Amino acid sequence: MADTPIPLEVRNIKKRFGDTEVLKGLSLEARKGDVITLIGASGSGKSTFLRCMNLLEQPDEGDLIVHGEEIRFKQTKHGREPADWKQVVRMRAKLSMVFQSFNLWSHMTLLENVIEAPIHVLGKPKKEAIEHARALLERVGLTARADAYPAQMSGGQQQRGAIARALAMDPEVMLFDEPTSALDPELVGDVLKVMRDLAVEGRTMVVVTHEMGFARDVSSQVIYLHQGLVEEAGPPQDVLVNPASPRLKQFLAPKY
Amino acid sequence: MLDLHGYGPRLLEGAGVTLQLAVLSLILALALGLLTASAKMSRNWLLHKVATLYTTVIRGVPDLVLMLLLFFGGQMALNIVTDAIYDRTGLDWYVNLNAFAAGVVTIGFIFGAYMGETFRGAFMAVEHGQIEAGKAYGMTPWLVFRRIRFPQMMRHALPGISNNWMVLLKTTALVSVIGLSDMVRVAAEASRATHEPFTFLIPVAAVYLLIASVSEWMFARLQKRYNVGFGGH
Amino acid sequence: MIDLTWLNELLADNRIFTPQTLAYYWGGLVTTTQLVFLSLVIGLVLAIPLAIGRSSGRRWISLPIYVYTYVFRGTPLLIQLYIIYYGVVFFDGIQQTFLWPILREAFYPALIAFTLNTAAYTTEIFRGAIKATPRGEIEAARAYGMSQSLMMRRIVLPSAFRRALPAYGNEVIFMLHASAIASVVTLMDLTGAARFVYARFYAPFEAFLFAAAIYLCLTFAILYFFRYLEKRLLAHLKPQSGN
Repeated sequence: MADTPIPLEVRNIKKRFGDTEVLKGLSLEARKGDVITLIGASGSGKSTFLRCMNLLEQPDEGDLIVHGEEIRFKQTKHGREPADWKQVVRMRAKLSMVFQSFNLWSHMTLLENVIEAPIHVLGKPKKEAIEHARALLERVGLTARADAYPAQMSGGQQQRGAIARALAMDPEVMLFDEPTSALDPELVGDVLKVMRDLAVEGRTMVVVTHEMGFARDVSSQVIYLHQGLVEEAGPPQDVLVNPASPRLKQFLAPKY
Repeated sequence: MLDLHGYGPRLLEGAGVTLQLAVLSLILALALGLLTASAKMSRNWLLHKVATLYTTVIRGVPDLVLMLLLFFGGQMALNIVTDAIYDRTGLDWYVNLNAFAAGVVTIGFIFGAYMGETFRGAFMAVEHGQIEAGKAYGMTPWLVFRRIRFPQMMRHALPGISNNWMVLLKTTALVSVIGLSDMVRVAAEASRATHEPFTFLIPVAAVYLLIASVSEWMFARLQKRYNVGFGGH
Repeated sequence: MIDLTWLNELLADNRIFTPQTLAYYWGGLVTTTQLVFLSLVIGLVLAIPLAIGRSSGRRWISLPIYVYTYVFRGTPLLIQLYIIYYGVVFFDGIQQTFLWPILREAFYPALIAFTLNTAAYTTEIFRGAIKATPRGEIEAARAYGMSQSLMMRRIVLPSAFRRALPAYGNEVIFMLHASAIASVVTLMDLTGAARFVYARFYAPFEAFLFAAAIYLCLTFAILYFFRYLEKRLLAHLKPQSGN
């Protein structure tokens, strides 16, 4: 196992927006099969941290190593930017993201959404992509909706479709940005079930979430962020069941 | 009956001129509009300024004045160039500005400014998350443009493009002033010669209405295509 | 007497912008302003009843108005101008009537054409604004026992006018620009003056750029006037800050 490269490694990520430093040096290592959940209050920087991992936000400092390949940066007058956008494009194709607001492409059917990147980014033959997509849609329980447009689907269906779209890339790591936060409560369960199955199957995942049950049951590591720093991290039974930090205790306390 | 005092064939030719002029100008205007919108949204300070100046000036000055300026001014600029060539090399070269080309360039140039505003608004209306999803899946900027930004933008831009086209179509009538024999010029000439203005001008007006109605129908069909997936049709 | 020697000195250096040509431009500006202003005012007055009629549920009222706006918005203003101008000039026997001295001047045919044109556009702008009246406002008016005409006068029109303001501002600018074609029927408006100066000195850049600059200034003046109006009249539609 030692020779297979680590899927995703980030070291000492710092990010500021204007005068506020939102990430003050965060690191994370996702080994094959890891499910890492990032928790924390809103404003703790967990989503920004996740978005730095596929460079939807540009970190001001820190290193990013995807599947053993380090991303190169350069300084420009607009700040720090990747030196080679081709490298970024290649790296993003290995990390699929699932967004809070789904972001399925609204002018394409569900099936078209799922085959879009495999065909145009990975260069898969169309026939193969469609076969794969149909299998994935069956997995997430959306076979019947393949030809529907996103606007015709419920939020839960859209998010399951978005997960199928992410899976179609055969990603090294899947990044989930609060995937259930925009859903009606009764639709959350279906999406979480799909995610649990993925975890069991050994997918490498980094998940930003408010679902403590999910974090406790499936993650290999839980990271609690507070104001851009790691306040507590470790296996869920330590972090979530016996938290050391008083702040985390308060965060986990049931709210009435 | 369709002879129209012998002006029938020339009117028909004029209608052809009008239609060609309108379609070619539209193509030029669409291309210029896309360029202008990109320049306006670019991070480059100079490009942004130039595009803003272009859209502001063009939209602040009557079409006819711009047309006269570009046509007569263009002819003079050409003369200056050919004179200079004659002085230097002795090559006697007189180029007459082609009224049709001048018309296409002028109308395309004018409506490029309007299209630019239409496209810019439409690009801005595309949800950011849609673009981000493209980036997150490893699409290059060009692929994001071609597969996501452009088709989604078109849905927002089509009503504006359709509107600009209707105005452009009517603006082609102005080329009769710079000497192009479009159907308006032929009809006006015939009216003066025969003292029967209605015989010629009303059919020409009807042709404009016909073109407008046909294009309205075509744009409605296009809109339907680009609207696919929006608001659950 | 205003001392204009500085102006004369400034103008002494060039052969085109003499006091005489400037007088042409000034005359052209006056003609353009008169034409545009008069046609807009008359067009606006015509458009209000037309827009109400166009919004009517009775087809025998709304349909003819629709045909009128469709024809005038669907054909070039230049053709409308030609039809009215030549239609009047070549009307049999008109040369013998007392109206001839007035109609012979291109000003009136142009005014008629512009008025009918802007009335058509304005009618549609108002109709759109009337149609966009929130249903709740109409229901409230009905609930308070207002008659159809009272509701139109007190509720629908006042809010429709405000909604129509931005589009009407565009129409005013459109009319200013469209008025340039008056020069085609030999009227000495601003563009006509520029064409005259061009023909006389064969100086296209100077002649037309000068006119373009004046049009640009007028456009901006109209733009800012309507922005100011919008700010004053539409302030109540913006969410209040600091509550």
